[in-house]
Amino acid sequence: MRTDIVRTYKDIHSWVGIFAGLALFIAFYAGAITMFEEPLQRWASRPTELSAPPSLERTPELVDKVLIEHPEARKSYRVHLDTGPGQPARVSWSTGTRREPGVTYFASLAPDGSLQISVRQPSEVAQLIDVLHQQVGLPFEHEIAMPIMGVIALLYAIAIISGVICLMPSLIKDLFALRFGKNLKRMWLDLHNVLGLFSLPFHIVMALTAVVFAFHDQFYDVQRAVQHIGAPQEQREGPSRGSQREAAPELMLVRDVLPPAELAGRIGQQMPGFQLHMISYEYNADEGNHGHIQGSDARYGLRGSTYGLGEVDTRTGAIIDADYLPGKQGAWFAAISSFFAVHFGNFGGSTVRWSYFILGLAGAFLFYSGNLLWIESRRKKERKAGAVVQTRATRILGAMTVGVPLGCVAGISTTVAAAKWLPSELDDLAAWHSRIYYAIFVAAGAWALVRGAARSGSELLWAAALATALIPTASLTASLASGWHNSEDTVLVDLVAAIGAISFAVMARATRRRALEGPRDSVWSSQSAPATV
Amino acid sequence: MSNYELTSRGWLGKASAAVVAGFGLTMALTSIFAAFFSRGDSYFTPQGQMAMWLSSPIWCLILSFCFFFRSGARAWAWLIAANVVAWAIYAVVRMLMS
Repeated sequence: MRTDIVRTYKDIHSWVGIFAGLALFIAFYAGAITMFEEPLQRWASRPTELSAPPSLERTPELVDKVLIEHPEARKSYRVHLDTGPGQPARVSWSTGTRREPGVTYFASLAPDGSLQISVRQPSEVAQLIDVLHQQVGLPFEHEIAMPIMGVIALLYAIAIISGVICLMPSLIKDLFALRFGKNLKRMWLDLHNVLGLFSLPFHIVMALTAVVFAFHDQFYDVQRAVQHIGAPQEQREGPSRGSQREAAPELMLVRDVLPPAELAGRIGQQMPGFQLHMISYEYNADEGNHGHIQGSDARYGLRGSTYGLGEVDTRTGAIIDADYLPGKQGAWFAAISSFFAVHFGNFGGSTVRWSYFILGLAGAFLFYSGNLLWIESRRKKERKAGAVVQTRATRILGAMTVGVPLGCVAGISTTVAAAKWLPSELDDLAAWHSRIYYAIFVAAGAWALVRGAARSGSELLWAAALATALIPTASLTASLASGWHNSEDTVLVDLVAAIGAISFAVMARATRRRALEGPRDSVWSSQSAPATV
Repeated sequence: MSNYELTSRGWLGKASAAVVAGFGLTMALTSIFAAFFSRGDSYFTPQGQMAMWLSSPIWCLILSFCFFFRSGARAWAWLIAANVVAWAIYAVVRMLMS
């Protein structure tokens, strides 16, 4: 390949990388954690004050009491087949609309058979991490954050292709070469290349799907407008479906449905291998009784992050709409679902989830190493140009390269651990989790700017190690103080956090050593005169 | 082309062409796809969804390869020309399919 092309694309790669790298670190680190959003939610959710959920066979008794005492539930209520800390009740319903969700109520039967209601949500900390992932860590409204994320995703796509173009000429020579030696920069570059190349399909998938997640409305709007040119006007359905103003239906009307056990059985007959998670019984004047189901099937990719969904007739159990049901959908819909599935990693069970977790962390490391390379090559260029000390821009970027990722790590760990310490009486727990995260994140960034990359590097790594160690510590204290024990699958959360904490501590020691012994003119060296701007 | 040296200097012109004219081209190509495969007048058919999904790889490819153009002006000229051709094809397909 012509060297001018390689040089051009090396420039492009550096600049898009430096603009998008830190945001992508947050997206990938948080995204890796969302692979285990469900176990994390179970870990973080306080044991419910409700009695144990009634069996599926006894559920009609509970549903009846709910529908009599709470007419607002008649239009739509949910029966959960999987209950546990993350899903505390057999039956739940929500007020409000999808745009403006109201309160969610959870119901159970007391030992004496009377109705129990709770409004205590399962922990929302896992949701916060998901939002950080989707919005690349930006604390803005969804409508503002998503286009910014989209731009980052486009830059990421350019970074991937330009990176491949740069690597192509020396591909064979460099691919299997990991030169751990005196030349540290060479080693980092080799690591960056190998990591990037071997996870290339994963990165292509993530970039392309993220662009869609950011810009689907814009794409649809243009395509629809184009399609409508010269076409007969589309008949638009009024917003009659489940309109909130509609009065609660008569009890007799909504009772005319199959009980959950029977309905689940009939759905199971039609879809062997499908694991039903939830049935939502719905009623409105236009459609009468109908319902939606959610569930998963490890043999197929799923449209939702953890479930596929469909529509059923709640009186007969017939499947009305299977467009997003795993294994039941047509070829076109299966193809569409597969695009979601390869982003969410929800096919193939826990093997794929763990692979995505590791690929996600590796991706985060890829962006971090990319930033390091940029800073090091700038240092060389500047030295050649005669500069003795680093320029202010390089110093700030170096500080941010340390502060942003480590602030994100420490912030996530601390706010997760806080799930077990925040008093449950606080009525805006989600907001508290958000405050804790951003407080730590901003503090880490400020610390890095004040102390400089070299010294803050090891200090913030220690902070990240400490914050991550808080997670198993919180489990221990909550279990001792209030008997809030983990189930066997959430012990894994503590275990992974403990491994993470140890890894950060090891990195902190290595960074300290480099600051003391590495090249003096490096941003990572704390030997030279203190970096005062 | 042979003795021309590519540099990253004219990046803004090239990138803006890929963002704006490249977006138009992407919409033209995906609309051709939708016109070919979609049935019914709704845009939210699975074929319509596929057309939306195709926007992402097409636009990303244009954005990534736009730096091969010699200059920003050339990028704009080529991409506008491609728009004209693609939208003309779209108009023809629409006429044939209706």
